[in-house]
Amino acid sequence: MLRLLSGLAVLGLGAGLAVAAAGGVPGPAEKSAALARLASVATTDSNTAPAPVPRFAAHAIPARILGPDAPVPVSPSLLRAGNGWLMSDGKTLVAVYAGAAGDDPAVGRVVVVRQNLVAGRQTMEQVDAGRTGALSIVGAQTGGLRLRTAGGRLLLLELGNSTSHIVLTEPGYGDRPLPPRTSDSASHSPRR
Amino acid sequence: MPVRLAICALAAATALASAATAAAAPAAVTAWYMYGSSASDLKSYAYAHGCAFAQAQPGSGVRLLLLDFGAARKLDSSTWGAVDFSNTRFSNADILAALERAADGYHNCHLRGGVDIAYGNTNNNLSKSGMSGTDAWYAGYHQAERAEDLFRYQDAKGYTSQTSDAASDIEPSWESASITKQLVNGNQAQGWALDYDFGSADGCPQSGSADGTCNNGWHVSDVGYVSFHGLALPLPEIYYSANASQWTVVRKQWGGQYFFAGVTGSTGVGLSPASSWSTLDSLNSGLVDPELVCFGC
Repeated sequence: MLRLLSGLAVLGLGAGLAVAAAGGVPGPAEKSAALARLASVATTDSNTAPAPVPRFAAHAIPARILGPDAPVPVSPSLLRAGNGWLMSDGKTLVAVYAGAAGDDPAVGRVVVVRQNLVAGRQTMEQVDAGRTGALSIVGAQTGGLRLRTAGGRLLLLELGNSTSHIVLTEPGYGDRPLPPRTSDSASHSPRR
Repeated sequence: MPVRLAICALAAATALASAATAAAAPAAVTAWYMYGSSASDLKSYAYAHGCAFAQAQPGSGVRLLLLDFGAARKLDSSTWGAVDFSNTRFSNADILAALERAADGYHNCHLRGGVDIAYGNTNNNLSKSGMSGTDAWYAGYHQAERAEDLFRYQDAKGYTSQTSDAASDIEPSWESASITKQLVNGNQAQGWALDYDFGSADGCPQSGSADGTCNNGWHVSDVGYVSFHGLALPLPEIYYSANASQWTVVRKQWGGQYFFAGVTGSTGVGLSPASSWSTLDSLNSGLVDPELVCFGC
């Protein structure tokens, strides 16, 4: 944005804007006033007095499953979401969305959004379960969520503080190779 | 756009030098999904986000603070707003109050540079919620109106390092093109705020310049419309290299003066945020502004 603003400030109008302003194809001319406003933004405030600091009044959001009517923030290109789950203690928030990979409905996928509202951090984590079909969240248990595959198998999503893992909960599940370090884990390291 | 301007205004050699400079991705800034069980929650979170953004802001430029309040909604016969990601409905008055707290938070923690605070929403399930095309038009109109209201607040408070705009996560899979376009048309009719499209070109072709088909009955030209018509500017989600290819097709199909206002990236996806910007820039040299907002950074 800096270069855009600098360019506008220095050059006034680029050729594209000039063409549009002269009655050419609709486009940047319609944006020119707003872009000029952007170009006028200073880097200091004329008022240096601090604003009142509001009392941090965030409340907990009890853990709950979000149905298909709840908006999903994750792009369908990343996740074809079926349902979600949300919990917040007022300072940290975890939201989990389950479904299938955007580019392959055979791949089960969850996306975990974490917010630390005090520290001002937000992370997104994607965890794939392999070729399970779409996943859905069926319930919560201590430390994680229970997932159901398209074929009806149950999986556990372990929710760590910063990374999550999908763990098999049924013996004999062999749709994909198990990592060598454990005998019962099908954890997929999230792509970071 | 800056390099494009340079190409138009300066000698070719200067433009080439600028294009080479543009290959370096800008530092990412955090964008936020908004969750809250009450209006007071929303204000608290927004203040915290504004402060955190200011404290972490890289460089001395003007950067975009994007707050995504969820799906645009008509709440009753005369009230518009959004349903946020905790499935809580907020009126535009509540959202404006939260945006004002974000402005306060940025002001109180301001260290360097400036900010464009954007009222973000999505086109998720507009018609399923009962909204008509006319309702969507008013949703866009009032969204822009609230962005302007925020600017008046910033101006009255002497927050001269701030401005405000609108933004929409427009996803073809979430709603028909015809209703989604009304969001953009309403914003355009109000006429004040830029309308950043931080959505996808989901299902669109990855090569060529034809008006091919995308998901949910959309065409490439529809994505071009919602991202560049009127006051719209594309800030596309580039999570995988395929996304950069799709948006390049959108740009080529629209033609003319189409450029990208930057890129929306994320962690936990195929491309790192910096790579997402660089990948789009490599396919559209000189046509990608140095803005990089990131969900998950």
